[in-house]
Amino acid sequence: MANAHAVEIGGLTKLYGGTRALDGVSLTVEEGEIVVLLGLSGSGKSTLLRHINQLDLPTEGSVRVLGEDVATLRGKGLRSLRSRVGVVFQQFELVGSLSVLENVLTGSLARLRGPRLGTWMYPRELRTTALGHLERVGLAGREHQRADTLSGGQQQRVAIARALMQSPEILLADEPVASLDPESSQQVMDLIREIGRERGLTVICSLHQIELAMSWGDRLVGLRAGKVVLDTPTSGIDKASVMKIYSAVAPAASLESELEALQHASVGSIRAAAS
Amino acid sequence: MTALATPPVQTATPRARGGAGRRRAASFAIAGVLGVFVIAAIIAFITLDFSGVGFQKSIVSAQRFFARMVPLDFSDPGELVWLTLLTLAIVICGTVVAGILSVPVAYWAARNTSPHPSLQWVGRAITVLARSFPELILIIILATMFSLGSLPGILAIGLHSIGMVGKLFADAIEQIDEGPRTAIRAAGGTKFQQFASGILPQVTPSWIATILHRNDINLRASAILGYVGMPGLGYELSASIQRLDYKRAMAIALILFLLCVAMEIISMVIRKMVLRSGHTASAKPSVWERSRGAVMGWTALVVVVVSTFIAQPAWGDFLTIWTVLPERIASFFPLSTGDYTWAQALKMLWDTISIALAGTLIGVVLSSIIGSLAAENVAVSRAARSWARLGLLAVRGIPELILAIVLILVTGLGGSAAALALGIGTVGMLGKLLADSIEEVDPGPERALKAVGASRPQVYFSSTLPQASPAFIGHIFYALDANVRAATVLAVVGAGGVGQAMFNAAQLSQYNVVATFTLLVIGVVLIIEGIAVFLRKLLSY
Repeated sequence: MANAHAVEIGGLTKLYGGTRALDGVSLTVEEGEIVVLLGLSGSGKSTLLRHINQLDLPTEGSVRVLGEDVATLRGKGLRSLRSRVGVVFQQFELVGSLSVLENVLTGSLARLRGPRLGTWMYPRELRTTALGHLERVGLAGREHQRADTLSGGQQQRVAIARALMQSPEILLADEPVASLDPESSQQVMDLIREIGRERGLTVICSLHQIELAMSWGDRLVGLRAGKVVLDTPTSGIDKASVMKIYSAVAPAASLESELEALQHASVGSIRAAAS
Repeated sequence: MTALATPPVQTATPRARGGAGRRRAASFAIAGVLGVFVIAAIIAFITLDFSGVGFQKSIVSAQRFFARMVPLDFSDPGELVWLTLLTLAIVICGTVVAGILSVPVAYWAARNTSPHPSLQWVGRAITVLARSFPELILIIILATMFSLGSLPGILAIGLHSIGMVGKLFADAIEQIDEGPRTAIRAAGGTKFQQFASGILPQVTPSWIATILHRNDINLRASAILGYVGMPGLGYELSASIQRLDYKRAMAIALILFLLCVAMEIISMVIRKMVLRSGHTASAKPSVWERSRGAVMGWTALVVVVVSTFIAQPAWGDFLTIWTVLPERIASFFPLSTGDYTWAQALKMLWDTISIALAGTLIGVVLSSIIGSLAAENVAVSRAARSWARLGLLAVRGIPELILAIVLILVTGLGGSAAALALGIGTVGMLGKLLADSIEEVDPGPERALKAVGASRPQVYFSSTLPQASPAFIGHIFYALDANVRAATVLAVVGAGGVGQAMFNAAQLSQYNVVATFTLLVIGVVLIIEGIAVFLRKLLSY
């Protein structure tokens, strides 16, 4: 489809049992945009991301990604869409007992037929590509190490290299630095943005720290209790106005604690920047 | 929400330095060891000559066999009920003995509770030796010291079971959260109080689960113990076969099978209840939730007391045994292979090992397929998983002895039929263990590969299998050493090998010969366990 948006979500609602995880979310993301999803845990960020590559199916509403209606995809079609969308997880999700190189190579599985076990089962040119990606994320020379012997920040960079193996058009990152120390967080966030720009990727990254979110993306989308409460370019916006929007939509009772939590997270990241 | 303030995830270890070379060496070593075993298993498989299990010949003898076994003879139902109760009672008493004795043994053996490193060593040694000592040999030896009746059986089951129960209990103690115990120590609690209030509450569910699990195993083993005189269904089974009364024998075999399956299901239900009791605790517990622990405890006590009454062990023997004990121990020496040369002895040992290897090979091949399909993260559908699990349960319920008897009678062969019986028996146990360890892998990496667009087989081989393989290899070696013991024991129904020599010697009261062969078997089992430990270590590189 010509001129399609990268991601086009309309009236997306997701119920888990009786809980409304997403409540009529509509969101359009253009190609090459770098978007931050901001919200506290439980606000629906992860759920929203999980719908983009059909790790979850909508209760209501539509999800179009790269011109495809995601909810209707099955089997091969679904796998091919997933291969065009790279994902970076909060907990890295590497296979700890495999080598770094093999973990990166698994990113190319969708392009290969049949199962693989051991780096030697992957074509030589893919191995070369994988080594290139490892160099790009700053882990050259680590390829034969067991993945679980790396530090958290290094593991997340391996996960980014794995996503690059897919040659993705969209890169999703779900709280990619929530399990990392401040210094690695900064490195990983910078790396994701640089790679996104270099390759003209559409990047959607969920975060819960306002400070980090404002300085990082092109566009800020705020979620609260499964609803979009904020959608603005990051240029020319300041923290106070973001806080104000959050306070305008929050019911008085939960407002105080919630603002405190957001503030607290910000203080955390300020402290992080300072150290 | 203060993720950034939490300590960084730093898992880098010194091992990381120069890890590549060491890792490669380790994978070569792993491949080498596994390769040797696979080749040995294939050689064993070939030399056992399964060609005799010819289709046509088997059909003919199967027909003859089934003609002689129907109609099944269920006459004298009162006797059958009594034998069933007696079997259950003896097995339960034996398991309880093991459960109780395993507490001090595990307390010594666990790294974090052991009073002294030497006692830790003693504790571990007890579990290893008890595990590797075939209970059939134990009962033969014990039967010479005690008067006839249930006591030798109870003790044989109990002492042998300490091996598994004690080891798993010690492992559970080593894996506890040290926090509560430290809190009690900080509050001035004694060592005993720390153990009772800080550790026991954390490990009791797994202890109960292990005991129940062991009870199932012991019930199956009761079939074989009957062959050497332990009262109950097993004894009746062997007597009927000796009378060539297959109608009665197969009736008893059927009862035993159903009993084993029923027991397996009951213990599964109780295990689930015990292991999950913590998750159902609500703010306002119902009467049942509050009293469940007490009800289960009292029921268990009643079951044990009733079992003791039914089994009626001759307690008085404990008073008289001390007079004969030195003499008995003396009769194990000097070690000798009796009428056999050492070459013959080693040949028979290899025969036994090859039955075990071939059986394990058959079992591993079948169970890695069935086990995978029985795991919910691999299974094609929920229904397929349920069927695979049910199949494993049914196979697990069949005592190996009964399988071996039927197969030996049907095929008219010894070793290869025994290997086949062991193979089928292995599927039941190994398939379940494999399925469980596949279900326990971290689902995160699987999800990541799903997100990459990998197909199901790709996810299985790139994420599930590498994560489960250390457990896989551990379970396979566990099966192998169980099979070495089982292959020895299956000699009672004509599997041949070193077990045959043992029984001949036991019948001639040459206990030093029995002891010698027992030591050989224990040696093999210990070597296998040693290799398993070595492999586990290599796998961590």
